[in-house]
Formats: sequence, C-alpha cells, structure tokens
Amino acid sequence: MSRPGLGPPSRIEAAIERAMRRDQISRRAFLGRAGRGGVALGAMMTLPGLLAACTPGSESASLEWANWPGYIDIDEEGNPSPTPYPTINAFIEETGIQVNYTEAITDNEDFFGQIQPDLASGNPTGWDVITPSDWMVGRLIGLDYLEELDLTQIPNLEANAADYARGQSFDPNNAHSVWWQGGITGIAYDPTLTGRELTSFDDLLNPEFAGSVGLFKEMRDTFPLTLLSIGVIPTEATIADVEEAQQKLLGPAEAGQFRGFYGNEYYDELAAGNLVASMAWSGDITQMALYDNANVQFVIPDTGGIRWNDNLVIPNLAANPSGAHQLMNYWYDPVPATILSEYIGYFTPVADVPDRIRQDAEAARDAGDTETADLLDAIAPTVAPSPEQLANSYEDKPLDEEEEQVWNELFLEVRGA
Amino acid sequence: MTTDRRRWVPYALLAPGAIWLVLFFALPMAFMLLVSLQQGSLSQGYELTWNFAIYPEVLGQYWELMLRSVVFAFLTTLITLLIGYPMAYTIAFRGGRFKNALLLIVVMPFFVSFVIRTLNWKMILADNGLLFGTLKDLGLLDPSFQFLATPASVIFGMTYNFLPFMILPLYVALEKIDRRLIEAATDLYASRVQAFWRITFVLSLPGVIAGSLLTFIPAVGDFINADIIGGGNRDVIMIGNVIQFQFFTANDYPTAAALGFILIIGVMALVIAYTRAVGAEKLTEG
Repeated sequence: MSRPGLGPPSRIEAAIERAMRRDQISRRAFLGRAGRGGVALGAMMTLPGLLAACTPGSESASLEWANWPGYIDIDEEGNPSPTPYPTINAFIEETGIQVNYTEAITDNEDFFGQIQPDLASGNPTGWDVITPSDWMVGRLIGLDYLEELDLTQIPNLEANAADYARGQSFDPNNAHSVWWQGGITGIAYDPTLTGRELTSFDDLLNPEFAGSVGLFKEMRDTFPLTLLSIGVIPTEATIADVEEAQQKLLGPAEAGQFRGFYGNEYYDELAAGNLVASMAWSGDITQMALYDNANVQFVIPDTGGIRWNDNLVIPNLAANPSGAHQLMNYWYDPVPATILSEYIGYFTPVADVPDRIRQDAEAARDAGDTETADLLDAIAPTVAPSPEQLANSYEDKPLDEEEEQVWNELFLEVRGA
Repeated sequence: MTTDRRRWVPYALLAPGAIWLVLFFALPMAFMLLVSLQQGSLSQGYELTWNFAIYPEVLGQYWELMLRSVVFAFLTTLITLLIGYPMAYTIAFRGGRFKNALLLIVVMPFFVSFVIRTLNWKMILADNGLLFGTLKDLGLLDPSFQFLATPASVIFGMTYNFLPFMILPLYVALEKIDRRLIEAATDLYASRVQAFWRITFVLSLPGVIAGSLLTFIPAVGDFINADIIGGGNRDVIMIGNVIQFQFFTANDYPTAAALGFILIIGVMALVIAYTRAVGAEKLTEG
C-alpha cells in the first residue's frame, strides 16, 4: 500500500531537503536521549543479552531483515558504522546482533514471488524478519509460511502497544505478526484548485474535475475505497459488490474523468497541481504539507477510509528467530519508536510516541529552536490515528486467489485494458 | 578426408550463431509457449494442460491495446526517422572533424538511466512545469492545456528514448556511401534532389531498415513511457503495461506469457512483411 519508495527527481530534491532537516531533529533527539536513556539501555543489555548468549541458536549472531525503502531513520553523515541507521546501530550495540537491513520489498506480490518457491519447498528464505502488508500476512499465515511468535520474548508488545496495534483481523492474538507502521488510504485535494471543500469519495467522480483526478493503480488500494462509497464494508464484499464498484468507476473512467492511475508518483502530480484531487495515503500528505505543498489537504471520505499496516513477521526456518524476537521487542520500546516516527511519520504501533514527540518539541522550544519545535508539533498528531479516524476507517479484505483474480480482471478494465 | 571436412565446415561456422539462436531465442520462446498453455494458481502451482483456448481469449480481450501499441510504435518509428535522417545525414556528410564529437552527443543521454531521463521529461512537460508553465504565464497557451498523459506525450517520450537507435544505423549506412557516385550523378545532370533520392537514399536503405527495426521492436513492447509520461491514463496504456500487470501484480503467468508470445509472433510477421516490402534481401545481398 503506501510505499515510501524512491520518488521521481522533484521528489528526490524535496526528499534530500527533507532528510537534511529531519536528520537534524532525529539526530538531535537521538543524541539527547542517548544520555538520558543510557542507564535504561545498560540495564536492558544485561538480561536479554545474557539470555541470548545462553540460547543454543545464538551462534547465528546476524539478522537478515527485509523492509520497504525509506522506512527507517538515516544518519545525516550517511555512513556511520556499522549501518547508516542510528536506531539499528543502537540495537546492534545493545544485543550484539549484527542486523543486515535490506530495502528488499518494493511490492508485496513481487516479494512474495521471490520467497514463495523456498517456502513452498520447505527451504529457508534467507530472511529472519520480513515486513509484508496486512493482507499479505493473512496470505502467509494461510499458507503456513510463518513461524509462530513467542510473545513472552516480546514483553514490550504487551506493555507498550497502542490499542489499535494489537491483534489484527488476520492475526487476532499476534500469534504470527506485530505491527511495524501503518496509515490510512483516503483522498487528498488542493482547495485552491477545487475551489471548495471535498468530503466524499463521489467528489472524485464529479465531472467538474474531469481529467484532473488520480486513482491508485493497485486494485487493493482503489476498490476498497470505492466499495465503501457504495455502502459495502470491504471485508464483507462479494464479487457482485465489486462488480458494482467497478461499474461505478467505469463510466467516469470512460468519460476521461481520471488523469491517470498512479503508484507513489501521485505525490508529485498532486504537489505540482497536475491533479486537483486524488486517492492518497495519510502519511504522504503530512509530509507534503510540511515540505512540498502546504495547500493540499487529506480527508477520510465520509463513507470511510482504509486502514493498512505493514508487519514484522518471521518466515519459516529463519536462522535467527531469537534475534528476530529481540528486534520486535526493541521496536516496541518507546525510545527507538519515537526516533523512527519523528523521521518517517507513519502511524506508530507504540502508544506513548505522540506524547514523547510533543515533549521533544517542548525541549526544542526551550532550547530556542522554534523551527524544529514547530515541525515536531506538526508531526506529533499524525503518527497515531485519531479516534475519529479509527471510527471511520476499515480493514482491507484478505482475498483468496480466485477473488483476487476476478478483482484484478475487473480492475484492469477500469484502467483501460 | 578433404571432402568430408568441406561438408561440415559450413555447419561448424554456423554453430556459434545457431547455438546463440537456440539458447537465447528458440528455447525461451518454447518455454514461454509452454507457460502460456498452463493453468493453475500461484499457491497450487501451474500445470501444463495444453490450454490453447487462452490464445483466442486474450486476443479477443486485448486486440485493441495490441493495435494501439503497433500504431504508437509505428508513429514513433516514423517520427524518429524524420528527425534522425537529417541528423545522421548532417553528421555523415557535413560533420568533418566533429563527427565523433557529434556522435558522442547523440549517445550522451544514454549515460543516464532510461527511467531517470523519462522522469525528467515529465518534470519539464508538467502542466505548470518549466515549458508549459512558462508559456501559460506569458499568456501564449491556454491555462487548461495539458500534454502529459495524452497519446502524443507517450509517442513523444518513445521518440526521444529511441532516437539514437535510429540515428546510429543511419549514420553507418550513410557514412560508407561512395561520394563519387553522387558526383557522377550530378555530372550526369541529376539535380541535387534527384541525386539524393536515386543514389543517397537508396544506398542508405539498409540503415533505414535497421534503424526502423531497432526502434519499432522495443517500442511495441514499451511500458515505461505509458506508465511515467502517460501516467497510466486509459487512452495511453499499451500491451506492455498489461503484460507487466499480469506478470508482476496478478501473478497470472499463462496470460502474460500468451500475450508475450503473440507480441513476438506479431512483431516477427510485421518485420518480415516490412523487409519484403522494401526488399531488404536484395539490399543486403550486395
């Protein structure tokens, strides 16, 4: 779903600027805490460290983690040792586990295609932790491709997880997965171009915006939002419902309502004003407002938005499951979770993070750095869903293969094939 | 002994080419054909069921997109030829000691990744971008004018990206023309125009054919330009986009393979018809 992938050049420039500015914050925040948290880190080091040293599997002291691009904090120097990622370095220091962090996932289906042959034939995939999206986790559990989690090794989950991040429909008791980060799919628009406020999905289909509206090119992004607009809860959608949703899009599509079908590149089109309105991912529009186009607004349509998240899971026969559990536990520690959120701005699974970001803002303001303080204050409310957002957003439907095929065929027709 | 050897020498000489063809063309083609005749799903696995019915099925479903791809590729080839010929001609005949530098300039954009170049055009051609934004500000263009996400923009993108493939073979063909033939023609009272069409152009035909093929064939299967410059608009997506979707998103390998197979056979048929029509055999024999 929302992929903070490598964007086109205009975005690259913006990203560089953003990274420079963000690094200042995160680095400052990180250094500030390193002093404060020193004792806690030291204490944590002893027990799990000793346990890990005693565990038979612990000779495998490296950990292979596959994640999406742009989904972690990066140090401004670019190349500190052993990795460019301050939070991961802190984990390595704390546990002695060498994390090999790879941005190996750019698409759920592509990545599934890579690991599926090994998993199907009972071979290790070479990964200890992977980060698939919600519906993909559902599929992996269904195929029995994931190791079961030992939640006693992830005490921080019970202690610190936000309510919305506990137990998803595809994995109610976190038996196989824990939240990494998440967001909401809704709509975004530029009021200076639309000339009015948009509140509903049907606004995207209004002929007054003909040729200037963007949809997502992934069926899994576009259909569920459309289903909600015809009053169908996506998880309960039947093929007939999807056919109705397709018909709803097909007419406007044929009349040239949509400028195009986009992945991450909708961001530039929207920021540049080529699109006046588009389907959008919440985290992106926060960033857009801060760095690229302050006019653009994100709204959850009155008929509802789609909640999505990516998850940490352990594929079968992982070489270092104990390290994988330690990594999961680490990310439910509010300290690294806050650093991460200040940097990437998606929904965090850790309850305390928004408050901690506000505290950091406060600290920055006290230190006279109003720019950083304003930035952090702007980020704080966006890293967790508000109660209204939660009430008006729904989960995606995990599709079986036949449904997926039919939905894809129907969607391909909307795209013009 | 000698007669024996004579018999197999031609085959031995053919062997490298033949092995190359088998390994990199015939085998993949056969493999693709077999994949297209399978049925099943990703989790259950695909099984070969000789499902030939997929061919009429995908042809019926996607013939319009195939036709559009051929039309887009044809227009791209035509425009690259119209732009590329004068450029290649100028470099070959008027380039003098700057020939190599000029050729380098033609190839220079290739030092940058295909995708990055295409993305840059998207920035330049954005509705309120460098080019049209300026023209709109100057009041020379209607504020609602839009070039991106139109068929013309996709053909533009492909023309830009494939132009060097046209220019280089044209240059090679033009460069080796014996200038004395043109002198002889003018000595025999041919006008410059007549000399061009009867001598230069005819002798450059192998370059025209090679350049057209090098442009047309990749252009038919292109999906990057339709995706990036065309923004995946309904009126611009090409058959390459569908193959990409079926293969990577829908994991429907048989459909993707069937489309790929039809595309290759179709392109081969068009190429044979084209070379027949312009008489490539005769040209390359001499």
